[in-house]
Amino acid sequence: MSSSPAAHGAADGHAEHHVMPLPVYFAVYGALLVLTVVTVAVSYLGLPPVQSIVVAMGVALVKATLVGAWFMHLKYDAKFNIFTFLATFWFMASFFVFTFFDLSSRDAVNDVTGQFELRKDVEEAKK
Amino acid sequence: MSTAAGADHGHAHPWYQAHHFKNMEQQNASNKFGMWLFLVQELLFFAGLFMAYASMRYFYPGTWLEAAEQLDKVMGAINTVVLLTSSLTMALGVRAAQLGQNKQVAAWMVATIAGAYGFLIIKYFEYSHKIHVGLLPGKWFGFDELKTTATNAPQIFFSVYFMMTGVHGLHVVIGIGVIFWILFRALRDEFGPENYAAVENVGLYWHLVDLIWIFLFPLLYLVR
Repeated sequence: MSSSPAAHGAADGHAEHHVMPLPVYFAVYGALLVLTVVTVAVSYLGLPPVQSIVVAMGVALVKATLVGAWFMHLKYDAKFNIFTFLATFWFMASFFVFTFFDLSSRDAVNDVTGQFELRKDVEEAKK
Repeated sequence: MSTAAGADHGHAHPWYQAHHFKNMEQQNASNKFGMWLFLVQELLFFAGLFMAYASMRYFYPGTWLEAAEQLDKVMGAINTVVLLTSSLTMALGVRAAQLGQNKQVAAWMVATIAGAYGFLIIKYFEYSHKIHVGLLPGKWFGFDELKTTATNAPQIFFSVYFMMTGVHGLHVVIGIGVIFWILFRALRDEFGPENYAAVENVGLYWHLVDLIWIFLFPLLYLVR
């Protein structure tokens, strides 16, 4: 590896020095703006809540992929960094799934006790 | 010591290479991996807030449909565009640093800081409106059009709203600080093709702040 202070223009061909051409940045930015307009427009259609959140999260996921792959250079990053990033979503998913195992057995908060009481206890108390 | 090290390697280290790294490739790779570890920690940290959102929406679905209507979609959409634009200027700043064009790096950092301030100013108008009409968390809630009942809990929606946007806003404020740091270093002509890791890492942080807003915006503003 040369010790000379690097001259202008990173034309040394290493993966980590990958310089993307300018039009790529503007194309990604344009796509992000279009998707923002799409997601706002869909919100005015008055879709039922479930369809609405599926569409909104779908669009957000595409936007996040654009930002991650190009603006954050993940497309050209070391494989292990990509793995670290994606593995995080596995842990987030586990967190969500296991918390919902618990929440789905509970009722909305009880105004008197301030607790999310177990649904079976609430039903037994009603008997 | 430095002369001895120089003799060992047959050359002196560039000033930006720390002594304990073999070469710049190794330093840059370690640097970036460290940054990614920090970023995924940020994601896990925000996951707690997203979980709070999901669980409260699960218990109070009606509230979410009603209370979210009180947020201004147009303001939220404008702020999304402002933040996406600042992400673009940041990405272009990193590119300029890769090419060693320090003046351009400085200019792109100024543009990014302007975007960050723009975001906070719009947020300030949104917050002050909500404080004014009483769309507030918990016991401070005092907006008469939305009734607080056992099955309707708008004060919880606004707890979640202020917590999520507040912590995100704090990240924007910290972002302004670190982008200023890059701006000053660029003005001192410090960056070049081998030495742009600081710009790249601040860029990654800024894109993550954008990434989180990409999810916050539809979840809070576009419920219906």
